[in-house]
Parts: sequence; C-alpha cells; structure tokens
Amino acid sequence: MIDGSVSRRKFLSVLGGASTAAAAFGLSGCGGQNKTAAGSSAKPGTELSGSINCTGATSFQNLVEDAANDFMDANENVTITIGAGGSGQGLSDVKDGKAQIGRSDIFAEQKLDPKEAQALTDTPVAIVGMGPIVNKNVKIDDISTEDLKGIFTGAITDWKDVKGSQTEGQIQVINRKAGSGTRATFEQAVLNGEEVPTSFKPVAEEDSSGTVVEKVSQTKNSISYLAFSYYDDSKFKALMVDGVEPKNENVESGEFNIWAYEHLYTKDPDEVTQAFVDYMLSDAVQGSLVEEDGFIPVSGMQVKKDAEGNVSKL
Amino acid sequence: MTQKKSQQLLSKSRLEYIGFSLTLACVALVALVVIALIFMVFQQGLTTFFSDKVNFFSFLSGPHWIIDDGHFGALPLIVGSFSVTLLATLFALPIAVGSAIFVVEVQPVFGRKIFQPLVELLVGIPSVVYGLIGLYVVNSSMRTVFGTLAGTGAGILSAAIVLAVMILPTVTTLSIDALSAVPNAYREGSYALGCTRWQTVWHVVLKSARPSLLTAVILGMTRAFGETLAVQFVIGNVEKSMPASLLDPAATLTTALTSGLANATTGSVQYHALWSLGMLLLAMSLIFILIIHLIGRKGAKVNG
Repeated sequence: MIDGSVSRRKFLSVLGGASTAAAAFGLSGCGGQNKTAAGSSAKPGTELSGSINCTGATSFQNLVEDAANDFMDANENVTITIGAGGSGQGLSDVKDGKAQIGRSDIFAEQKLDPKEAQALTDTPVAIVGMGPIVNKNVKIDDISTEDLKGIFTGAITDWKDVKGSQTEGQIQVINRKAGSGTRATFEQAVLNGEEVPTSFKPVAEEDSSGTVVEKVSQTKNSISYLAFSYYDDSKFKALMVDGVEPKNENVESGEFNIWAYEHLYTKDPDEVTQAFVDYMLSDAVQGSLVEEDGFIPVSGMQVKKDAEGNVSKL
Repeated sequence: MTQKKSQQLLSKSRLEYIGFSLTLACVALVALVVIALIFMVFQQGLTTFFSDKVNFFSFLSGPHWIIDDGHFGALPLIVGSFSVTLLATLFALPIAVGSAIFVVEVQPVFGRKIFQPLVELLVGIPSVVYGLIGLYVVNSSMRTVFGTLAGTGAGILSAAIVLAVMILPTVTTLSIDALSAVPNAYREGSYALGCTRWQTVWHVVLKSARPSLLTAVILGMTRAFGETLAVQFVIGNVEKSMPASLLDPAATLTTALTSGLANATTGSVQYHALWSLGMLLLAMSLIFILIIHLIGRKGAKVNG
C-alpha cells in the first residue's frame, strides 16, 4: 500500500513539474500547428518546383490557405506549408529565415527595428475593414470618433455621456490583446496618436475575434471592435462611425477610416516564393477568393495608408 | 543448455557492461535535457536585465505590464497567478479531504470501486474543455450573481473556480492515498482508548497523514500554477494593471506568456521579457518541487 502510494505520488509530481515547465515554454497553448498539403507526383514539363513555408497572422490565414491550395493544384511540384503563430511570429520567422513568407496584419515598421524592416519586402494582398460593435441592449446607431477615443482611453465611462446614446450605465469595454493587429489598427485610426493611460482598465482583453463575439453578445452595455467578416446582426450591433456605415465600398472610397492591409512579407524571395506572391495579386485571387473570404481586394482601393497611419488619395 | 547458449552469444561481463551503459545513457539524456532546458530559459530570460537594462526589482514590483509601451512590471501577473492558485486550493482542499475521509474511513468499497474512478475521470478531460465550460457556465453565472459589477464575468474568482475543479482529482487521489497509508494500528489504538470514529479521524488519522496531505496540496498548487489554456478562457486576460478585487479581470504569468509570444518578434525586448516570465515560472516550479522534497523528508522522519 505504502509502496503504491509513493510511486503514484512521484509520478504525479513529475507530471505537475512537467506541466509547469511546458506552460513556461508556451507549449501548451495554441502553438504553431502546421497544415501541410503536399504536391506529390512529379510531372515532366512543369517549371516551378520547391517548397514555401508561410507563418504568421491568423486573421487572413484562410485566404492564403485557399490560394495556396489552388496554386499547388496548378503547380504539382510546389509544396506550401501554412503555419499559424501571429503577426509577431510571422515577421520574426521571415526575418530569421525560418519562413519564406511571413503574414502580418500590421506594418513591419510597427514591430521591427527600422533596419530589419527595411530588409523585408512588403506585399499587401488584401484589405480588411473593422468597426465598433456593441451589445444589443445599447441604444445607439452612430458613434463619433471623438467618443470612441474617449471610451477606449477611459475618459468616457458611462453610456449617458456618449452622443446619440439613449442608454445609461457603465460602459463595459472589451479590448483585444495588446499587440494584436486588429487592436493596433483600431487604435491607430481612432486614438489619433493619443496614448492610452496606464490607469485605464478594460473588463477583458481577448486573444481572438471569436471570443470577442461571444463576450459582446453576452455582456450588457459592452463595446468592442471586429473585422467586418465577423459581423453578425443576430448576436450584436455594428455601429456607424461619424455617420458612415461600416461597408466595404466606404472603406474603398476612403470615407470609413478603420481598416488595415493584410501583408505578405518576404526577404530575398526565390523563384517559387515570388511566383506565389504574384499569384496572390493575380485576378484569380483578387477577383474571387478575396471577397469570398470577407476581404477587400487591393485593386479597388482609392486611398492608401502608410505605416504611420496617414491616409492619402491614390 | 541455455546457459551454454547465452555464453556463446555474450559473455557475462559484456552483458553487464551493455546493461550498465544503456541505463547510464538514459540518465545522461534526461540530465542533459533538464540542464539544457534550464540553461536556455535563464540565458534568454536574463538578457532582459543584462543587455536590455530592465531593472530586475522593477520587473518584480512594477504595477503595469504593457510591454509594447516599455512597462515591464510583472507584479500584476505574479499576483494573478498566486491569487488564483491559492483560491483554487482553498476551494478544492476541504472537498478533497472530506471525500478522502469518506472513502477511506467510512465506505472503502464504494470509494475504491466507484468514487475514485469517477474522480480520476476528471484528470482525463482536456483543459480546453474546462476552459469552454468555464466561459459559458462560470462566467455567465458570475454575471447573473454579481450583475454589472462582474463585467463580462471574467476574473480571478471565475478562474479560481475552474482551477479548483481541475485540481480536485489530483488532491483527492493523493489525499486518499495519504489517509490509507496511516497504519491501522493507530486507529485500533485510538478505538481502544474509547474514541469515536470522528475523534479518531480528526485527532489521529488526519494528524499523522499531515505531511502527505501537504504534498497533495503542493502538487495541486503546482498544477493550478502552470495551467494556461483553461485560465485564459475565463480570467479576462487584463495584464496591464493590478487587479483590485476578486471580480476584476486579471492575467497570470502563463497566460501572459502564451498570448504575448504570438505578437513578439525574436530578439526584441518584449520577446526577452516574456522569457523572463518563463524563468520566473521555472524558478517557482523548482521551489514547489523543493518544498515537496522537504516535506517528504520530514514526513519520513516523523513516521519512521
């Protein structure tokens, strides 16, 4: 009996230690899960061959995956591996040569040293629009950028102080995690360079858009922001900003200001990598896949944005 | 015949030698992995303080963790980790010890055949399932009970409740083992003195099982301390400032580490600071293991 209990205890102690250690390395999270689809049989006559590793932002991973599958169907000797990991990892991997393509939903200049960023080539392949959303109990349809700024810096804390709102009560701010591309885009467009005071505290900071959908639909008086592709009228209410509706055509015309590029970053690309990047910009992808997956094609844009967030007419 | 055969294949001394080298290789491999692991974590983690010049003491005591703006104060995360761990243990321990007493002292057959397998089922449930259930059940009941005070329902209390359920099987199983390890002679002696069953349990069994019960507690705490995924679902993940109440959203060392790594680029201060969190976690788990060994030694002395 005593022997048995000792050995179990020892076994569990190893388990406990191991799980702590695993957590310390971030192994037990949603680490890089790779999806490989291999082009197998070699056919004489096909020109392109090689393999591409593409890691980074999850926000437009499905778009790149769809395009990669089509590309591999057309070029049987090409293998494209799509991994997750977030914008930071995508930029790190391409900078360190671990991946040929890094996906990012923010400019490399916002993350890396200027020198490191300069070594990378930026190819925006799509545009994503995003806007503020509220729980259905909040009676408001249109919010000003000024009020949004107040809410997300903690200057406005009650719905009764928001112009156009017929609701009273404490505003429950649900933010995205610091460092998330969606948050960086939203803050760049809304805060106008104003710093968020360290004292401001949201009720939650979520890692993913999916959780934001859940939390906003369940929490009364809550506000957050999401990419258009997540919009769902049955769960929450999307707001107009300064009277402009959150629609793709308003983003294209430049009237709606909260949007970001989805970037592919490369560093001295080889022939196959360049061919795939070019394919992402071709009509085959821009004409159908981009819109099917909820993004806005690059070609339709009438304005452009630089790394500092300055918008200018094309 | 067989002896002759084995002599032909391998001489005795050669066999000895092979066995010795095989086991030695296993030990060396494990030792190498452990040392390499510790070395790597400390090497990356210490970079924050030596080459990025972040003050070690402000790292431990700073009240804001906003690494993108250069605030490297891990105190909110340390407070978050310890408060969820301690609260979870506080919730789980009485239940675990209570059921252990029932299983060992009151109904051993039911306990061993039905209750214990049932509890051990809980170990097999993946943490993501605990997280999802926490998100839908615990968070929403927080909103129902506390109203707007609870915000989204995410916070330290929610995380502690989910963790309490997660560590319950570990603590219960080990408590059962601890109580059954108490020699029967102690109980018989107590009954002979005219003590009731409850008096025997309270004054004799629990007292002499104390070192092993403490081990159970520490192992439960280690599990709670290291849990990441389930906590991430229910705690609200607000790393930037100190939690002011149990209903306040917070973050733990592990959740900050996992979600931060996705957004940090290699070689940056932010990246190194996250490794420093890993170093802190590793140091904590080493301390936990040390405590277990100390208790084990003390227990061995007491029980002979």
